[in-house]
Amino acid sequence: MRLLLVEDDVMVASGIKLGLCGAGYAVDWVGSAERALEVSRTESFDLAVIDIGLPGMDGLELTQVLRKEGRTMPVLILTARDALQDRVQGLDLGGDDYMVKPFELPELLARLRALLRRSQAATSATLSFGPLELDTALRQACVRPTGAAGPCVPIELGPREWTVMEYLMLQAPKPANKDKLLQALTGWDKEITPNAVEVYISRLRGKLEPHGLALRSIRGFGYRLELLAPPPDAAPAPTAGA
Amino acid sequence: MPARQAIASGLKRRLLLLLLTPLLLLASLNTWFDFRSADSASLQQDRQLLSLVPLLSASVVARGATETDPPVMLMAPPIEDFLNQRRGLAAFALVGRYGSVLLGDLWLSGMPPATGEAEFSSQEFDGVTFRIVSQRMKTPAGELVLRLADGSDPRQQWLRRLWIKVALPNFILVVAAFFAVNWAVRHALRPLLALKDAVERRSPRDLSAMDAEGVPEEVRPLVESLNRLFDLVNAQAESQRSFVADAAHQLRTPLAALQAQVEAWAQAVTSTAAQADPGRVYMENTPPVLVDIEHTAITLEASQVYRLRQAVRRTSQLANQLLALSRADSRSAHIQPVQRVDLQELCEVMLETHLDAATAKNIDLGLEAAQVHASGHTWLLRELLSNLVDNAIRYTQRGGRVTLRCGWGVAPDGSAQPFLEVEDNGPGVPEAERVHLLERFYRVPGTLGEGTGLGLAIADEIARVHSSQLQVLQGQGGCGLRMRVCLPA
Repeated sequence: MRLLLVEDDVMVASGIKLGLCGAGYAVDWVGSAERALEVSRTESFDLAVIDIGLPGMDGLELTQVLRKEGRTMPVLILTARDALQDRVQGLDLGGDDYMVKPFELPELLARLRALLRRSQAATSATLSFGPLELDTALRQACVRPTGAAGPCVPIELGPREWTVMEYLMLQAPKPANKDKLLQALTGWDKEITPNAVEVYISRLRGKLEPHGLALRSIRGFGYRLELLAPPPDAAPAPTAGA
Repeated sequence: MPARQAIASGLKRRLLLLLLTPLLLLASLNTWFDFRSADSASLQQDRQLLSLVPLLSASVVARGATETDPPVMLMAPPIEDFLNQRRGLAAFALVGRYGSVLLGDLWLSGMPPATGEAEFSSQEFDGVTFRIVSQRMKTPAGELVLRLADGSDPRQQWLRRLWIKVALPNFILVVAAFFAVNWAVRHALRPLLALKDAVERRSPRDLSAMDAEGVPEEVRPLVESLNRLFDLVNAQAESQRSFVADAAHQLRTPLAALQAQVEAWAQAVTSTAAQADPGRVYMENTPPVLVDIEHTAITLEASQVYRLRQAVRRTSQLANQLLALSRADSRSAHIQPVQRVDLQELCEVMLETHLDAATAKNIDLGLEAAQVHASGHTWLLRELLSNLVDNAIRYTQRGGRVTLRCGWGVAPDGSAQPFLEVEDNGPGVPEAERVHLLERFYRVPGTLGEGTGLGLAIADEIARVHSSQLQVLQGQGGCGLRMRVCLPA
């Protein structure tokens, strides 16, 4: 994955670059919007992280120009301002997500993963979360064994289970709202009860858990697809090491 | 109330004293003048009586036939008129040398005056006070004492009726004046008292200008100087707030840089450790990280990097919260238009935002949200709820339970009112500490969390912007905390 980082503050930029490289991304860092435009015309990126407060052309303008020039990569906007106005403006002008500086690296990585997954879903037929892959064209699910380049192990899913699984995958790592899940399922059954959703969820649990995936129930809200083992960048509790 | 009475009685007492004292003096003066005029009236009566004496003397025309017979009288017309006009209230007597009445009313007996001058006296007879003149005079019937009595004049009733006729009207006047003045003073002071109430009712944070309309013009300068003072204090507070906001804002840029660096180190440590032994990510003896600064390598323990990261995160949070606090505090929050805020959506967003933090502590973060809207400021309410949830997760033990709630509550006046609530089943806060909980930088003694002591202060400040306040309640089942904010519908 190749990322474009547009940030004028050297300290912030080098920190983010270090963190992103550590997470396995290839990062190209430029210090100004003008330079970013030049680079983006010759190179192609999977994602751009753009700071709003740039010298000269600012980050929002840059996003707009990038969109006009037909770049469809997801854009995550960084800002020191946290007013709602900025957020609305940032998303209106083509940014896909938004983070307020200073931020915690795990959160940035999580947002980047979500953005990449969404853009993948839009451009390719395959959705992936951890070891799980969903081929939306063939409606096939499979699990790739960790650390091995072996073949994808298929998982059998019924049509309704597939709908639930696809919805959870699209939402991950955010939780999926149970009501929305119900709506997604009503295409199959005219009258589906919340209990039925729980049946599908529990069936999915049985199929996913052996592969290191969990479906966490969020009381009063819905479900979230999670990895059973903590991901490498999950922050240990602050006092755990002390 | 004591203050109200102090102001009222202070000014009222002065006004009453200043108005009633001259009034009392005037009343006394009036009484004295009445006395005087009555006095002069009685002088006239004496003169009239005196002028009648020679006529009475002239009415005696001859001695009686014998020594014991009364003298013969032929009443002069003025005497006749005098006696007829005041029937029963006038009398005359001719008194002999030894005090016996020769002719006339017997009660007018008495020793003759020693000299030849006319003498005046007052005597009561039959319930009427008479003014009596006595004079020795030579008459055709020899030397006699002539006495004339007049009971018709007020002068004689005067002493008795003095209080009723003169003092009582004055007294009634003074009492009536007292009530009138009292009433007038109270009404005249009413705008002043209203002004004082308006000042008293103000929240200490409300420094907006006071309405000078409807204020008496004598008090208007006072209101204007108050408003000038408010403006001054406002400007000062505003500049202080903007200083804090600027400082916090400026702090965030270097902090962002610092945090980005440290986060990257911690990330490096974590992934190195995970590669070495995935099961021991959280263990103490993770390998040290090499920090290459200008080709000079220093060695840091993994735990040191984590601690460093924690310190930086905490500092960043403090800067963020200071900024949030100064924003919630500022008057701009009051000026911005009120929006219709979907509380259910807000709760859902907050749940998503804090899910990772809750999961890391194995806390069951749940939602009990009804479809409800409140009027307020979305970004402020998000900040409020975020602080409450953050706080609940921070101070609740591993495996605990935190619930986000919104719905319709019951307002004190019985109407339905939207509310936001965050409840945990953590250790809770002793009753005695709860009052301090909302103070800035206050932390419950003995807590080990990493909080800044600002979260609840911010939440309370935001609640106040929404004309409400943060309620600190006990969780259901007697444990934990329940933080609740009622909001305008």
